[in-house]
Amino acid sequence: MNTFKRWAGILVTVFIAAPLVIVVPMSFSSASSLQFPPPGYWLGYYRAYFTDLDWLIPTWNSIVIASATTLLTMLLVVPATFALVRHKFRGKGVADLMMLMPLAVPHIVMAVGYYSYLGDLGLVHSHMGVILAHTCLSVPIAFLVLSANLKGFDRNLERAALSLGASPTKTFIHITLPILRPGLIISALFAFIQSFDETVVAIFISGRDAETLPRKMFDSIRQEADPVIAVISTLLFFLVLVGIATPYFISTLRSRAPTPSRSPAGAH
Amino acid sequence: MTSYLELSNITKAYGNFTALDNVSLSVEKGEFVTFLGPSGSGKTTTLMIVAGFEKASGGSVRVGGRSISELAPHERNIGIVFQNYALFPHKTAAENVYFPLQMRGVNRAKGLRQAEDMLSLVGLKGFGHRHPKELSGGQQQRVALARALVFEPSLLLLDEPLGALDKNLREQMQIEIKRIQRSLGVTTIFVTHDQSEAMSMSDRIVVFDKGRIEQCAAPLDIYHSPQTSFVASFIGESNLIPATVTNAAARIANSPVLGSFDYAGSDNALADGQEVTLLIRPEHIKLSRNPIEDRKSARMTVETIVNYGDNALVIGRAGDIPMRVRVLGADVVIIKEGEECCISWTPDSVFVITR
Amino acid sequence: MGSSLSRLTERTNVWPWLLLAPLGIYMLVFFVVPLVDVAIMSVTDPRVSLVNYQRVLTGALYQRVFLNTFLTAAFVTVCCLAVGYPLAYLMAHSKPRTAMLILLLVTMSFWTSFLVRTYSWMVLLGNNGPLIALLQMIGIDDTPQLLFTRFSSTLAMVHILAPYMIMNIFSVMKKIDPALIRSAESLGARGWSLFRHVYLPLTAPGIANGCVLVFVICLGFYVTPVLLGSPREQMIAGLIGHQIDEFLAFGMGSAMAMVLLLITFVILAIYHRRFGLDKLWG
Repeated sequence: MNTFKRWAGILVTVFIAAPLVIVVPMSFSSASSLQFPPPGYWLGYYRAYFTDLDWLIPTWNSIVIASATTLLTMLLVVPATFALVRHKFRGKGVADLMMLMPLAVPHIVMAVGYYSYLGDLGLVHSHMGVILAHTCLSVPIAFLVLSANLKGFDRNLERAALSLGASPTKTFIHITLPILRPGLIISALFAFIQSFDETVVAIFISGRDAETLPRKMFDSIRQEADPVIAVISTLLFFLVLVGIATPYFISTLRSRAPTPSRSPAGAH
Repeated sequence: MTSYLELSNITKAYGNFTALDNVSLSVEKGEFVTFLGPSGSGKTTTLMIVAGFEKASGGSVRVGGRSISELAPHERNIGIVFQNYALFPHKTAAENVYFPLQMRGVNRAKGLRQAEDMLSLVGLKGFGHRHPKELSGGQQQRVALARALVFEPSLLLLDEPLGALDKNLREQMQIEIKRIQRSLGVTTIFVTHDQSEAMSMSDRIVVFDKGRIEQCAAPLDIYHSPQTSFVASFIGESNLIPATVTNAAARIANSPVLGSFDYAGSDNALADGQEVTLLIRPEHIKLSRNPIEDRKSARMTVETIVNYGDNALVIGRAGDIPMRVRVLGADVVIIKEGEECCISWTPDSVFVITR
Repeated sequence: MGSSLSRLTERTNVWPWLLLAPLGIYMLVFFVVPLVDVAIMSVTDPRVSLVNYQRVLTGALYQRVFLNTFLTAAFVTVCCLAVGYPLAYLMAHSKPRTAMLILLLVTMSFWTSFLVRTYSWMVLLGNNGPLIALLQMIGIDDTPQLLFTRFSSTLAMVHILAPYMIMNIFSVMKKIDPALIRSAESLGARGWSLFRHVYLPLTAPGIANGCVLVFVICLGFYVTPVLLGSPREQMIAGLIGHQIDEFLAFGMGSAMAMVLLLITFVILAIYHRRFGLDKLWG
């Protein structure tokens, strides 16, 4: 029974892991089509990615669009989250629910809507159009992260600051913002990733002029399965790995740091 | 001549619920006053109104003769220590203490020096560079105290600051807070639901119940002459005996069960025939086999004996009245559960509470 | 000055509305209006009528696609549960090192783009890929076509959506108080009955959460079925895209989108009444 459990565990783990790591050897493959194991290894497709404007421009577009989306999302979400978490008012339940709606609508439905609507506004195939659409999709994710953080915020800290003579504005700048900073950063990061990864809406509205990386990848996979995709996948794989590992390492480093060891008694 | 802190007719209502009903109180400069009461009695609400975090529905708060009711919290110059300390986690202990000075425009070098001095006063010399999470509960408490005092506030408010500490540390901090308060002479309001804390620290105790002040007096006065049966039962242990005044001039009352009583002085003008409650503290009752001369005595059936080592609590009934008697540990051997014995007391340990 | 302003706003309670207004207006203009646009197109394109809905609901092709989508989503959900539950159990109850490793793996998978994972499956299942090679090694020469079939798209969807299931179940499992299991054991429950009467009911909220999430995402899944699936067995999202991209048939595309949206909303509404929607993505 125990060996069965173990093997089942290993099998499932391999099922999860294999598709993640297989792109790494593929990216160094010398084959011009999908072939595994690769017949030989070289760095040609890395050079291809970093020199081919057909790939670099969509990458740059994605970075620009995701950055702008993040900025716009945070500008809209931060005040709204304060309103929804800190205040009680009529219609709050409905407002809370409305914040989550973009998560409930399938992206293909939004794609149809944006295709026609942004077309009417003359914004289809433009950076602006993609940014406006992506912001709607990032809002609920940023809100979920931020509101969880804000709910855990001890309001006595603000009361303490007020009692110590800080005006409401100064309290916000010196106390509320710095303490919320990790939550704000994670919230912004999630908004960025949502936009950077978003494929379906981008396929329909970004066009040639504002082509994003996922759209370019989608088209490429559909048409010829350019091996450069393996390169991009590998780069994204390591980006995610670093992104997940960094906070983990920071926290272990911090917890190992000899914090209370400096004895104040010895300081006398 | 008005007092330093004056609360006049403070009322606070949340919809139909009255949280505070006409609370009035005067506190002298340098006094240490404790708000004592069960949770929901209005003591914290009163504190929050003084601090400016709650707005009273009616009444006024004056400090040093000036009304502060219209001032925002940050304009009131009042130091507060919260139950969870509310230390700023992103600042070091010294920066926390420096914060109120920073807000008052003191430059960083001078302010941090002042903060270090204040930390020394609360016994945290050399801890200034630490962040709150690197400090123990007691140390955090001291930092919070230093932070609330460093800007020489006109009032110090302490909202159940010892609730999160364990028993030993608690007693140590009680003494420490009292010492610091005395040395700075700051007028202090301390909120707690712990009566022994209130007893040991305060110049005066204000007992709250259901949004009203039940009694306001020095600790020993509260203990020995509670003015309402709530105060009597909330502070310390008590035996309450229903009785009727038979001769107010001679201070004699009559209990249907225990017979005729002499009682000690009462501030209340009593009339013959008035229904009252007599209060006798368990430690004022003596336990013996036979009646003792010159003492009022009654017979009690012992039901339970709870031993605490140095003393014991004997629980029983005199007639149908439940009685508690506290005796020294050594004395408890003379009786057993289920036996009958004699309880006695002198008139000066009998207090009258009007109903 | 500042305090008198805040007191005024406190009384009239305009603050929350002031803070909410920018987002509210934005979402109205760029989220609600486009959706309404879809609804309008579905009954006006090419002319004002319900003919699009009539075709979507009665046409044999559309009925087949909807049924196919439903069955696929249900199958993927069951597979995700079958894969996810044991793995979540391993994560919650293994030695810290093993648990950490699996957690890292699942988190990696969760954060890796749909496209990358879809591409990986193209490599794994391709005609020159490792799986075919493995089959040939063990002597199966007449290897089946794996890629661009219902099999490949379903397998990839299970892989892509499993992390949602695993995370949801894991978060419930790790909160289970071990004392609860011990006390159940002390009361005589063990083996299957312990699982059936104690463990399974305790993890049910996580299962419900994971299943609803996976099912709903799968219903509207576009990328993976389009890239990996058989062109003859499309799912609804792919067909909607097809109508827009190839035929510029906005009316039909919109009508199908509205039906998809309605189905999704009904499922989420049921979930919302039972558990509250904020828990689903929390």
